[in-house]
Amino acid sequence: MARVRPEPLTITITEGAAKHVRQFAADMGKPDGNLRVAVKGGGCSGLTYDLDLVDTPGENDKVISSHGLELYVDKKSYIFLAGTELDYSGGLNGKGFVFNNPNAKTACGCGTSFSV
Amino acid sequence: MAQSELLIKQPAVYSSLSEEYAALTKGFGLVDRSHLGRLRVTGADALDLLDRLSTNKLQDMQIGELEGTVLTTNKGRIIDLLFVVRQDDHLLVITGPQTRQRVADWIEFYTFIEDVEVQDITESTAMLSVAGRKATDAFPQLSDLPLSDAVRITICGVDVLALHTEMAGIVGYDFIVPIAEASSLREALVDAGAVPVGTHAAELVRIGYGVAEYGGELHEDYNPLEAGLKDYISFNKGCYIGQEVVARLNTYDKVQKHLMCLSLESGDDMVLPSPLMQEGRQVGTLTSAVESLDGERFDGLGYVRKAHAQEGTRLTTESGIEVVVVSFPC
Repeated sequence: MARVRPEPLTITITEGAAKHVRQFAADMGKPDGNLRVAVKGGGCSGLTYDLDLVDTPGENDKVISSHGLELYVDKKSYIFLAGTELDYSGGLNGKGFVFNNPNAKTACGCGTSFSV
Repeated sequence: MAQSELLIKQPAVYSSLSEEYAALTKGFGLVDRSHLGRLRVTGADALDLLDRLSTNKLQDMQIGELEGTVLTTNKGRIIDLLFVVRQDDHLLVITGPQTRQRVADWIEFYTFIEDVEVQDITESTAMLSVAGRKATDAFPQLSDLPLSDAVRITICGVDVLALHTEMAGIVGYDFIVPIAEASSLREALVDAGAVPVGTHAAELVRIGYGVAEYGGELHEDYNPLEAGLKDYISFNKGCYIGQEVVARLNTYDKVQKHLMCLSLESGDDMVLPSPLMQEGRQVGTLTSAVESLDGERFDGLGYVRKAHAQEGTRLTTESGIEVVVVSFPC
């Protein structure tokens, strides 16, 4: 029987989150901008997420296309983000962009930083 | 001369313990502190990254300024106490005696897309410190240098980076030079009147004034508030690794133990660290000890639980040595 290889872990963005990125890009005057997704050192738990609108990927970035948007992720950040879904929590009580990261073992009280 | 050779040559006492102790406190003593780590951190994001990783506010540092800051884990435990000097094109980071690799690795681990590079310059440099009440009088060319500032000057033809520092009220200067210039600088400082101080007198001053050091007092068993490092914490700078825990300990007064100056009846069979006991229960830990100036007892430093951290409290080590809590560090 042929062995079924598991799909490699990737980073995904939900349709709702992609829509909000597009809207934000248009508001910023960068309608063709794409999303850099990165991890930074800092925050109470050690690591924080960083989102930025950019025109082109970095030299060694992984490029992931989803819902008409390109996500650019540097290799080191990718290690901490593999399997993450970027969602958007809207409404009055929403949290904005939310990272559902299976690698995060603990998070700080306000939820903006994590450790692995 | 390699740095390791320089360190091996540091004796416990050069001439006389009492003279060396008096030089450091009242006169003008010279201590070789080359065993501390020195990292050269370059890159446009260096200051921002260190600010995100440590307790003090570094973002606003100007060129020539010196700040102490504590690198903490996400549980608020001490990795090391760092002294950061902002230079024109880099940061000089002074680490503890055995932590330079750990600190360099920590910075590297948290460098993602930032422009930051760490170079260990410990072996290629030396750090000679002068301290004591008369130390500042010996360097009129540094009289305008404010405390916690750094400047490049020439001392008897040797180009040095001079840091104006203070340790528990004892003011002095740290001079950092390329290793090849260390002997010339040392000669110049001795010619200027500095009394070479061995490791015994230096340790007596450090312990007597309650200055925590890596290895004994500073490591992951303790947090910066227990270690008396509050001066190196900004409580309004925002997030850094460990901030949530440190802020909670401070706000709700949850610090469980304090670093205290101790007096021991002897140093026989002493092993460090040693549990400090009272009525069969451990209430503290002895972390440093050195034979006192009169040779009749030992001066010590240790963590003592809050309820017992009062002057005059009597404790014992596990081997039965009597220990008296003297005071909070000066």
